[in-house]
Amino acid sequence: MRRQLPLALVFIFGVFMIVQYFVPHEYSEWVYEFLLDWITIIGIFALALGIYSLTHVSMGKIRNRTPNWQYAIVTMLGLFVMIYFGFTARTGDSWGLYFVALVALTLGISSLTWGAVETQASRRKIGFAAGLGLLAVFVLVAVFDPSWKFYFYTSEGLQSAMFRNFFDYIMIPIQSTMFSLLAFFIASAAYRAFRARNILATLLLASALIVMLRFNPFLGPVGEYIAQTANWLLNVPNLAAKRAIVIGIGLGIVATALKVILGIERGYMGRG
Amino acid sequence: MKYKLVVSFLLALLVAVPVVAQQDTTLADTSAAAMLPAPATMVQAKDADNDHGHAIDVTWELSADDGQGAGTVLSYEIYRSESPDGPFEQRGLVPSQKNSYTDIGSRDRESPDYFPDYIDFYYRVDAVAADSADRALSEVFGPVHSYGQWFNTGRIPVMVGVLIFAILTILFVTIAKKGRELYVRPLAGIDAVDDAIGRATEMGKPILYVLGLGTADQIATIASFTILGRVAKRVAEYHTKVIVPCYDPIVMTVAQEIVKSAYLDAGRPDEYSDDIVYFVTQSQFAYVAAVNGTMLRELPATNIYMGKFYAESLILAETGAVAGSIQISGTDEIAQIPFFIVACDYTLIGEELYAASAYLGREPVLLGSLKAQDYAKAAIIVLAIVGIVAANFGWTYFTELFQVVD
Amino acid sequence: MKRSSYIIMAAVVVLFALSWIFKAMALDGETEHYITRAFLVTFSAFLTLAVLSFLYRDNPFYKFAEHLFVGISAAFWMCVGFWTTIVQNLIPRLSQPLSEFFEVPYIGGSFSIRFYLPVILGILLLLRLSRKVGWLSRWPLAFIVGTTAGLNFVRYLRSDFIQQISSTFVPLLGTRWEGFGHFFSHLDLSATGQLSMILANWVIFLGVFCGLIYFYFSKEHTGVFGKASRVGIWVLMFTFGASFGYTVMGRISLLVGRITFLFKDWLGLIS
Repeated sequence: MRRQLPLALVFIFGVFMIVQYFVPHEYSEWVYEFLLDWITIIGIFALALGIYSLTHVSMGKIRNRTPNWQYAIVTMLGLFVMIYFGFTARTGDSWGLYFVALVALTLGISSLTWGAVETQASRRKIGFAAGLGLLAVFVLVAVFDPSWKFYFYTSEGLQSAMFRNFFDYIMIPIQSTMFSLLAFFIASAAYRAFRARNILATLLLASALIVMLRFNPFLGPVGEYIAQTANWLLNVPNLAAKRAIVIGIGLGIVATALKVILGIERGYMGRG
Repeated sequence: MKYKLVVSFLLALLVAVPVVAQQDTTLADTSAAAMLPAPATMVQAKDADNDHGHAIDVTWELSADDGQGAGTVLSYEIYRSESPDGPFEQRGLVPSQKNSYTDIGSRDRESPDYFPDYIDFYYRVDAVAADSADRALSEVFGPVHSYGQWFNTGRIPVMVGVLIFAILTILFVTIAKKGRELYVRPLAGIDAVDDAIGRATEMGKPILYVLGLGTADQIATIASFTILGRVAKRVAEYHTKVIVPCYDPIVMTVAQEIVKSAYLDAGRPDEYSDDIVYFVTQSQFAYVAAVNGTMLRELPATNIYMGKFYAESLILAETGAVAGSIQISGTDEIAQIPFFIVACDYTLIGEELYAASAYLGREPVLLGSLKAQDYAKAAIIVLAIVGIVAANFGWTYFTELFQVVD
Repeated sequence: MKRSSYIIMAAVVVLFALSWIFKAMALDGETEHYITRAFLVTFSAFLTLAVLSFLYRDNPFYKFAEHLFVGISAAFWMCVGFWTTIVQNLIPRLSQPLSEFFEVPYIGGSFSIRFYLPVILGILLLLRLSRKVGWLSRWPLAFIVGTTAGLNFVRYLRSDFIQQISSTFVPLLGTRWEGFGHFFSHLDLSATGQLSMILANWVIFLGVFCGLIYFYFSKEHTGVFGKASRVGIWVLMFTFGASFGYTVMGRISLLVGRITFLFKDWLGLIS
């Protein structure tokens, strides 16, 4: 039951999707579409598990005072503050009570978790008491302050000013800087290939150089030949190798998918 | 002053009237002279093949004046009605020299473009000249209705492929189960995995296993799951530590299950905790930032990257190389393979990733399916040679066997 | 931590605080919330530099940026997922009271029952956290894996297998074969002529052939077979090199983008 039923489900849905591919009728399309919708919806539920895991690991770091535990606090603060702004909105003009609620909520959750994490009984009590008190403040503000509310406007919910600011001024800069690190890493990777000195690395580097130099205006007449060679490389051997890889990958995917459907490959299922 | 105005008005009339009159006659002359084009003939309509319904194919024979004859036909307009007597509604327009049109609509009942199935329609095709008033109406064809098919004949080649591949796989798996020894060539990346675990144990350092950015529904991730299972089992046996930071929460859930089972299999369930496999974030570069940090702080003896990787591949692999870890990678993302090759010690290229799980387990059933894959490759080579010969001699029917039509 | 590290950290904080003040002075009159705006721009410049400092080595600034990024992005995707998938797409089909609560238009209809199932499956997934009934979470996983395995099976069989086979069917002797006389009389030696096309077709065919042999698992790579496999991996390496070279320029332009941000938006040195 614990293992056989899931394997049977895999088989049934797998075979259904294969059969579905050959049936153009709209009923088949309809089922296909909502099965894909289901996957998206289940994914959102799974995100809750993810957030739980992140919180659990961060709290564990703080509790055990593992090296760099201070930074886990930064993660947790970022997480809760962002969730707060993602789920609430300021409807009035003043920021005052909105921030009071935010601070009360953040500190309340932190105190409660501190209480949960702390080993000493007396400190636990203080943590819980402070946490509940702060949460009470938060609830009071939430109920009696008309200048903000839990944000239930879907389209605007994601455009709440602070949420946007956090996205534009924290997420985007870090993200694009991480991405731009690639410029440095690609250079160090090229150097690594240069030092490797075996025939495969040399081949790789040579064709990389030819392709990189293909638009270089400083090469003069030589540039023309390089451009031609690069074009030939990209159009001929590149095409051949890509095709060989694609066929291989396709076979690998097809074989693995078939093994999964038939229940031969069940490593992903765990046991017991 | 008044007098001047009246005279000029009369003069203007004198000039204008004949001109207008002349224009009138020229206009009348041309319209009388312009022959209506010949109509489109043999209008036929039938339900479009291999689809979900909501579409009707209309075909006709070109008008005699399309290209030849008077050559006046510039376009065809396709009209539809629910009754042979009309009213007709225009459904489409195609340029001259074209003799078919698919009248297609939405299957969504709410949509303004909804095209109902099982409702009888009548079609008419107008051959239209430069002046859209000059048109020849064809005979009305009908009734015809659209409906969805239950089998797409255009996909028969895929079906044959499915059957052949399934039979080959089942055949070789059965043979393998009977205990016949199957040879597989050594793969450096796979042999390295065992050494790497041993090395980590000696150094007392953990192993970092990165499942990539794939979701649990990507087959590369599923292949990676199987490899993770093998790695985790050996790690548990050796009392080494494994760290599995995850990008996707479902992948994390599955990976937790796998690692837990592996520890159970190795007889060390007490050493497992859910914090071994943990979720980081579902943002590509935040995930990279965190994994980079882990690499530099935990200094793993070995980093294993298996699954789907995108732009982050190089950031991860270079950081790992700088941190001095042994690195083993495998992905089917063609654009990322070069970066792994350059920055990692061992790289499983494309299909090798899928073969890896069979190699590590050495289970006969999994090896059996490798054999099926190899036969498929041999079949491709043979078919390609036959196909090339066919192409040289212009035998198109062989090529057509492989055409998939939607 | 050493005392010097604290001093450096304090210095960095002071520098950025100064930058905030100067930025605010520069923005005064230009935008409405100039103090907030100046803070945000300065802070993102700080984060940009903190991430770049990783190239030197791991350090507290990088750790700060990294951990902040993880927390914020995890929450971001959770909120986006909740509002766009659950609230906008699921709830309107699920129940009227919930739709009213979330202020989204209810679009129920007779088939809304089909949306209860994924919710049940989602809840089963959450049961993973329970020790006793955690095994129930395998059902939704089995559903996802099974569905997508079936989907990928046919999809890749078609795109990576059947279609790739037919695209290898290229005439190796130029165009259509009509006897030796015709072949030699039409042999064109120019760079774009028939000869180079024949050559290209041969290279492609042999490349695919050797590449596939490299991926052959169940036969020892020795003798002629081994040589072909060797050629196969060379061709693969050529491709990987080309792909590597192709990517370089794109990556450099990303860096240029970040440097522009620092010098233009933050420091205002470039206009």
